[in-house]
Parts: sequence; structure tokens; C-alpha cells
Amino acid sequence: MCGIAGLTLLDSGLEPQLGALLAGMLVALGERGPDSAGVAIYHDDGQLDVTKDIGSPADVCDRFAIATAPGYQGVGHTRMATESAVTKAHCHPFTPAEGVCVVHNGSFSNHATVRRRLERDGIAFESDNDSEVAARYIAQRLAHGDDLKHALTAMAGVLDGFYTLLVTTPTEFAVHRDPIACKPAVIAQTDGYIAMASEYRALTGLPGIKDAKVFEPTGLHAWTR
Amino acid sequence: MDAVTSVVALDAASATTREINQALRALPDGASVVITEPRGRHNLAVGLTNSISVTIDGNAGYYIGGLGDGPDITVNGFTGWGLGENLMSGTIRVRGSVSQSAAASAHGGLVIVAGDASLRAGISLKGGTLAIAGDAGNLTGFMAQAGTILIGGDAGEALGDSLYETTIYVAGRIAGLGADATISELTEDDVTEVKELCGKAGFDHIDPQNVTKVTSARELYHFTTHHASSY
Repeated sequence: MCGIAGLTLLDSGLEPQLGALLAGMLVALGERGPDSAGVAIYHDDGQLDVTKDIGSPADVCDRFAIATAPGYQGVGHTRMATESAVTKAHCHPFTPAEGVCVVHNGSFSNHATVRRRLERDGIAFESDNDSEVAARYIAQRLAHGDDLKHALTAMAGVLDGFYTLLVTTPTEFAVHRDPIACKPAVIAQTDGYIAMASEYRALTGLPGIKDAKVFEPTGLHAWTR
Repeated sequence: MDAVTSVVALDAASATTREINQALRALPDGASVVITEPRGRHNLAVGLTNSISVTIDGNAGYYIGGLGDGPDITVNGFTGWGLGENLMSGTIRVRGSVSQSAAASAHGGLVIVAGDASLRAGISLKGGTLAIAGDAGNLTGFMAQAGTILIGGDAGEALGDSLYETTIYVAGRIAGLGADATISELTEDDVTEVKELCGKAGFDHIDPQNVTKVTSARELYHFTTHHASSY
């Protein structure tokens, strides 16, 4: 399983509430991933705070007072480990380059092959998590000058497996799913925000959600601020 | 009888899914009920065998109206995976878009989607009818065995993959046909069927004369000797 939550604010008036809204989304997905959780919050001053630890999303959000954090964009992940160990290093979000966050629900079947190729290119890994391979691959493409859309399209041609990915940079918010799309995703859009979660029930606490445009994204959807 | 005309309100914010479904099952035929604040809850209005009218007033979760045999369900919003899964009879109408596997394995009844349906809509359909006003995702009609699927917009990749005897009508573009799916000649009976289905679904944007009919080529039905080397 695993659960993903992401929120990028279009209404700056909501920024003081970002942490509270994101924590609410992530806690609602607790059943999808009880092992460990992580949150990344983008601040107006350019700082990116990444917090991750072992435990349920409710515990992790409480432990690090996520609900009090302001910001303009946030990403959360709650993990049910299937491919590798439950440690802090294996938690998402992965931050393979400055300002880049990657969270993943799914599994990659050829991650070891791609990892060896990236290691030959001099790229270092912090865990044996398959999702980190996708994160490092995307970062390598970005470093070579791809924009996020092209990097994600290239990734789809190299990594084989099931994925719903949420990838963010300070200015971009992208959801990418494989064509079989076994791993769920829902997007809600209002004038105030774009929100993405594994299940709609994680979005019910967002302001104005009743009037949001709600749909299941397929393929690649990317927004630029 | 009062129950025939009165409307009972159930609030998903304060009642559990089981409490709501038990209350729905206890209603007499002809009753109407509104479920308020569904908050994306899964499994609402499943397994109903009474002929009641249920309105879910907002966005709902997985398996809404599944296993139903008789109810008339309206969702004022979006629903998650498995809308009307294994429906036997009755009508489910969603005023928004729906996630994957709408009307999966439905034996009967009518499922109407006013927006788009995501992947695998009508998977393993067994005699029910699925009418989608908008677009349908990849693998729509996968292994569908009987019944009808109408797509008012565009269809995704691998439409009707491994299709048995379900008929699929598409008003828009088809990104790609699945294995053993083929485009068939549209007959007058087909046009009549599409016209009647549009009437029932309340679709006025489809020209029944200009839909593409997709059926099984039936090439996968039998073992053929030229496949022997594959085994």
C-alpha cells in the first residue's frame, strides 16, 4: 500500500495552515501505511524542511508538530514497507537534489539494474529502497537539464513497475502514474489549492472541498507556480 | 405509508458505515433517504436488496452501491474505485466523475456516470449496463462478458481487451483497441439501443447514428494449431 498526500497552495492566505492541512491529510491515510511517515514543507524563504521517522503518521506528525508549520507547498508519505527495511533512511520523501522531493506508492521491478547504472555514473545512495532509485534517476535527468515533465517521461521509459509518484520542486507539483495505474490517486482543485492524495477521504478536511473539481489523474499531470 | 414519501437523513459524519447500511436495509420499498456528509467514506449503500431511493450528497469512496439488487442511488459528487461492483439490478447515477473499475462484474442494472470514468470501467461486466457521459480510461471493458457499455467521450488504450460478448459503443475517439476487440458494423438495432440508453441516462450530446461499435473478434475463444508453438 502506502499513502501519499500533497498540497500546493494558490491562495497565500492558507499558508499559515499548510502544516495542519497536510497533517490532517496524512493522518487520514494511516491505514495505508502504519510503518513510518515523512513530510516535506516548502517555506516562502526558500527553505525546505523534511521530517521523517518510524511510526504511524499520527505519531510522527505529533512528534514533530507538523500541524504548526506554515508553508506554501507540502508533501507527505505514509509507508507500508514491501521492498526494503523500515528505517528512517528508507522513509519518503526522498530529496535527491536541492528542493526536489519524491514520494512513491508502488514498486519497481528493475530498480537494482538502474541503481547499478546510476552508481556507475557516480551517484550515491542512502538506502536500498527502490523508490530512492526513481528519485535519483529523476534528479540525474534534472541535473542534465530536463524539466520535470521530461525527467518523469524519461523515468517511465527506464524504470519498470507500478507507481503513483508525487514529485515537487520549489515551483512544480507533478503526479505521474504508470499506464496500468494500480496505485490510487485523486486530485482536488479549487481556486485556493491543488491537492493530491491516495484516497479522497484524505481530502475531506480541506477548505472548500465540496466545491472542488475532483478527479482521478492518469499519466502525467504537472502544475507550475 | 409515510415511509414512501418521507425522506430520512443519515449523516455519515456521525454514524458508522455499518449503522448507515443497516438503517438503509431496514427501510421499506419506496422509501427515500439522503446520506449527508459522506466524506469519502467507502462501502456506503452496499448490499441493498430493497427498492429504495438513496441520495449520497457529496463525494464518496470505494464500492458505492456494490452488490445492490433494486435500489436507485444518486451520488452528488465523485466516487472512488468499484462503483456499483457486482450490481444485480437497480440504478446508480453519479453526477461527477468516478475512479477505477466502475460497474465491475455487474450482472444487471444501470450505472450512469455524468463525468469521466477512470481505468478498467466495466471490467468483467456480466450483463449490466454502464453509461459514461465523458471519457473512459485505459482497459475499459476488459474481459467483459455480457451487457453494454456506452462511452460519450473518448476511450483510452486497450479498449475491450479480451472482450467476450459485451457490446461497447464509443461516441468519441478510441486511443487503441485491446486484444481481440474489433470494430463492428453499426446496425439499426444498435442505433435504437444507443438512443434508448441515452434517453435513460439523460445524455443529449451523443448522436446514436455516429457511434463506433466495438465487439469481440472471437479469435481468443478457441485454441488454434498455429498457437501450439507458444506453449
